[in-house]
Amino acid sequence: MRWKIYFLLSLIFILFVSCEKEDASLTSRVVIAIQSEPETLNPVYAFGINEGIITEHLFLYLLDLKWNEKTGDVEAYPMLAEKWQWNSDSTSIEIFLRKDSKWSDGKTISAYDVVYSFDIYSDPQVQSRFFGMFKNFFHFDDGRVDLEKTFAVIDSFHLIINFLPEKVISLFDLAFPIIPKHIYEKLNRNEIQTSEINFSPVSSGPYKLKMWERNQYVILEANKNCFLYNKDMISQIIFKIVSDYSSIITQLKKGEVDLSEDIKPSDAKQLSTNPDLSVTSVKGRQFEYVGWNNIDGKLFSEKNNIVPHKFFGDKKVRQALSYAINRKEIVDEYLLGYGSLCNSPISEIFVNEFDSTLKGFEYNPDKAKTLLKEAGWTDKNQNGVLEKGSLEFSFTLNIPSGNPLRDYAATVIKNNLKQVGVDVIIEKLEFGVLMDGVLNRKLDAWILAWFIPLPLDLKTYWYSDLTQTQLNFAGYQSNEADRIILELEKKLIKEKYINLMKKFQQTISEEQPVTFLYWFDNIVCHNKRIKNITINPFGPIQRIWEWRL
Amino acid sequence: MEIINSMMNKKLKLILKRLLSSILILFLVITMVFILVRISPGDPAQKYISPKLSPELAQQVRNSFNLDEPITVQYINFLKNIASGDFGISYEYRMPVIKVVLEFLPVTLLLAFLSIMLQIILGYYSAILAIKRKNNFTDRILRKSSIVLYVTPGFVLGVILIYIFSVQLDLLPSGSFKSYFFDELSLFGKLIDIFSHLLLPVLTLSLPGAALFFNYFRDGIEEVLQKDFVLYLKASGVSEKIIFRKHVLPNSLKPVLSIAGIELGFLLSGTLVAEVIFSLPGMGRLMVTSILSRDFPLVIACAFVTAVFIIFSNFIFDLIKVKVDKRIWKEILS
Repeated sequence: MRWKIYFLLSLIFILFVSCEKEDASLTSRVVIAIQSEPETLNPVYAFGINEGIITEHLFLYLLDLKWNEKTGDVEAYPMLAEKWQWNSDSTSIEIFLRKDSKWSDGKTISAYDVVYSFDIYSDPQVQSRFFGMFKNFFHFDDGRVDLEKTFAVIDSFHLIINFLPEKVISLFDLAFPIIPKHIYEKLNRNEIQTSEINFSPVSSGPYKLKMWERNQYVILEANKNCFLYNKDMISQIIFKIVSDYSSIITQLKKGEVDLSEDIKPSDAKQLSTNPDLSVTSVKGRQFEYVGWNNIDGKLFSEKNNIVPHKFFGDKKVRQALSYAINRKEIVDEYLLGYGSLCNSPISEIFVNEFDSTLKGFEYNPDKAKTLLKEAGWTDKNQNGVLEKGSLEFSFTLNIPSGNPLRDYAATVIKNNLKQVGVDVIIEKLEFGVLMDGVLNRKLDAWILAWFIPLPLDLKTYWYSDLTQTQLNFAGYQSNEADRIILELEKKLIKEKYINLMKKFQQTISEEQPVTFLYWFDNIVCHNKRIKNITINPFGPIQRIWEWRL
Repeated sequence: MEIINSMMNKKLKLILKRLLSSILILFLVITMVFILVRISPGDPAQKYISPKLSPELAQQVRNSFNLDEPITVQYINFLKNIASGDFGISYEYRMPVIKVVLEFLPVTLLLAFLSIMLQIILGYYSAILAIKRKNNFTDRILRKSSIVLYVTPGFVLGVILIYIFSVQLDLLPSGSFKSYFFDELSLFGKLIDIFSHLLLPVLTLSLPGAALFFNYFRDGIEEVLQKDFVLYLKASGVSEKIIFRKHVLPNSLKPVLSIAGIELGFLLSGTLVAEVIFSLPGMGRLMVTSILSRDFPLVIACAFVTAVFIIFSNFIFDLIKVKVDKRIWKEILS
């Protein structure tokens, strides 16, 4: 009898819990799952993706940049800047600010905030995430923007920004969030990193911070004082930190989470059958590649000498390896339609620049064998592994641990290369250790992914001068590619720019500094109750103020 | 009186000796962690190396972390700072590491204490039930299920519980420490909210441990029940309840308390599996993320706090053991 009473009481209690949950969740809310906690809500230090997404809704920019699917390009619309006017040779821009934009503490946003933001971002003392990005502005040797030469403040809502005459200026040169001068100027610049404003910012965007529970959630609420406010806006956006991937899937199905990105292709198929959920994807922003160390990394690290790598320094060998890898098998078997073959670092989302005539390296083991033979690699001792002199073609392919797609790709590659007489040992490394090896050029081969920045940037990844481009992990050396990259830095007419971009794709595809594997989609799953959501190369979580329920 | 004083002095000396050895262990732990994190590959400034960031930034950051100084200089500075109670600023969280640890500690403390209590209570009562119904159906079921529970990995158990109570029955939330509408709830609602969120994680953490305690309690009590002195007490007409409470239970507790000390230390050092599955902000997750992001000051602070808790929990259970059996104080406290 006693046990029955206990059971009944527990049942009532649990039912009560469920009822309370229903009552309290009537406000219009959207819950977005993020896998790691933001470290800061200060746009100066928003290094991570999640911090970027959140701060973009907390802080207004001068211009509102939108992606145009048709032209595959970015277009600017008014935001803090109500209107603007370039001068005849695009070396300066006259900006008229809105007069009704306010900080969350009630102060008006003015031209002085704009100037101050550029000052803070370019100051080496501050170590901002934008440090070093003001090379098109008049600047000092230490990178700081020369405020006197760059800015002319006509009045509180009217200013002129001057750029260096010889540089190619784009809208991205103005794409920085504006921060409140009256708050930041009270702080010692060395101490901004650790100050309280990192956690409770004075903001200006369509949303403001309501609450931040460590490692639980960040709650934003609609900012009624922002000119972007609309009564139909979703009143609360909850960024819920769910570190375990399978928990995210469970919570999506249960409706505890409304949106999540980076869904695995195998789960996408299953989630798309759920009537409440919609699955879509962001295409053409990230590709995976097999990195071949084109140069002798040890010699470069020790003596700064550039000598071709014993295996991968030869273009014919790299081409052979690309022919030997069955990329289509990986795309078909693992990506399940959420990806496509990659032939160069420019994807088809860049409608004008993309070279659709590029054929790439279709799986052809016979051609691979021929090329390897031409490069001097033969299996003289008939042990199944090619040799050149006394050197056997055997190397370690490093992959970061905990990534099933790369595990699968590495296994396919190992088997493919074995067929052409190349012995591959797969070694998994913790991501930090792998990056240490790649950055210090200790590794021979690796699988990693690149996220394509907007605007397109080729120099950072592919320029030969390795002292300038630490992200040229493969040590790619090409006079032709260098020539094109430097040419692209000049002011060009659109047609010439597009021709150069296509020429670059042909060059890099021919030289195969890495084997371009496949573009993989960022798969997004969201609850169908969210309407008017924009998913494009800028990502799935953007312009939340336009979402409706 | 003199004898009592000398005994007290002896006890005090032993406690002091234990305290000193604990401090030495702590010093060795943080020194070892300091050396290990610095010699292991990886760079805390690695996240500043990105196509979107200027290459000069990573070097600037590295300099500001003082990572360009020789390791001996770094170690001396580190010891000086520790001596003044300063564990440094977290590279990731941009605040003093102690403040970060204090934000994550409450959940771990709550989980650990609730879990150890539940483990002992469940273990004890199920053991009593099994002994009362020795060798019959209940006893057999309890013994078999205790083995199954003990060998079930935490992440499997957690997922099963989520599947039953959260997905199928939709009675309990599948994760988090509290709801995002927590502040809008009444006091009672808040209590229920936390309870409903912690129920599954605490069960995930406790069931395997409860199975272990069940076996220790069951075997311990049964062994003591076979002893001659129990028969003698029974023959002398002492009631069964008094025999059990005053003689059987204290004599069977020693192994249970040793295990409880280790288990509590383990729980306090972070309950990683439950924290990850149920998205709880605890020490386990903090430590793993700090290692992965090479947040050196935070790794050391986490290791320090963990070591303190393990030493402390062992000490507490040793004191309980002494309380239960005064004969063993010298053996335990030395």
